[in-house]
Amino acid sequence: MTAPSPLPPRREFLLGVREIIPLAIGVATYGLAFGLLAAQAGMAELQTGLMGATVFAGASQIVAVERLVAGAGAGAALLAGLGLNLRLLLITASLRHELAGRPWSQKLLALHLAADENWALMHGAQARGRAVGYWYLVGGGACLLAVWLLSTVAGVTFARALPEPRAIGMDFAFIAAFIAILRGLWRGRPDLLPWVASAALTLGLIGGAGLAPAWALLAGGLGGAALAGVRRHG
Amino acid sequence: MADPAGTAPWLLIAGLAGGTFALRLGGYLIGARLPREGRWARAFTALPGCLLSALVATSLAQGGPPEWLAAGAALLVAMLTRNLPLTMLAGVGAVWLLRGLF
Repeated sequence: MTAPSPLPPRREFLLGVREIIPLAIGVATYGLAFGLLAAQAGMAELQTGLMGATVFAGASQIVAVERLVAGAGAGAALLAGLGLNLRLLLITASLRHELAGRPWSQKLLALHLAADENWALMHGAQARGRAVGYWYLVGGGACLLAVWLLSTVAGVTFARALPEPRAIGMDFAFIAAFIAILRGLWRGRPDLLPWVASAALTLGLIGGAGLAPAWALLAGGLGGAALAGVRRHG
Repeated sequence: MADPAGTAPWLLIAGLAGGTFALRLGGYLIGARLPREGRWARAFTALPGCLLSALVATSLAQGGPPEWLAAGAALLVAMLTRNLPLTMLAGVGAVWLLRGLF
């Protein structure tokens, strides 16, 4: 789709950093929120920072940590988090052109740094005919990772200054965060039935079949997704 | 409740980091063979929303009227602002007020 980039790598990297900044501000508030939640799971700054740097996928981190706080155990928390990250397959599958002919060290770097924001920004720029590619993506990703790391750690530190979480309703912050993420995922009416079906199936499995909530919600989520798959558009 | 000194957070971090990187690498390696449309693609894209919807349902089932009303307040703010911190603030504020009332 695009010609090889005429910009030198350094300039393209810095361009990626500069143009991601408006999106990075949103990521910073999200990171602060995640830090508050991580503190409720008893996670310290080092753990939170390490998680942000190595996982680098916000929504899955929130879901996985909430599951831990709810007492679901590491295995169920892991599956719920990974389920949320399946969409990354589609993001990196679309990077073949940018990664073609590069050494593996550069490929792996860009793959780890591929997130919704810098990926969308790069494709938007390319769609407008701009010759940006690999280093633009990596520059944006590096900036996002730094902002994510710093803001999540700052959130954990800030949480220490707060009183007991349940007394001020902070335990509800997870649910509110999920509702906000759901709003961001909403693409229109066709989403409604699978979402309602997931919720209903999960509650049915807990109430009717006596399944543990941690596993019921995985089954409910898969059931809703299967429904979205077999259903025709509309 | 997670034990701060326990191994569960460490296991989770290691698993999620390894698994997420495997997904990122897998997408690149599978690449063009990944279904772009059809049943699998639709199920795939729908999964995150379905998981979150199931998660909200389980959490609310364990709560009562204060949590249900606060979830409504959070949903309203989310629909109006599409803003994560504001939605969290609305939800936490509402549940704090409502737990005082009920």
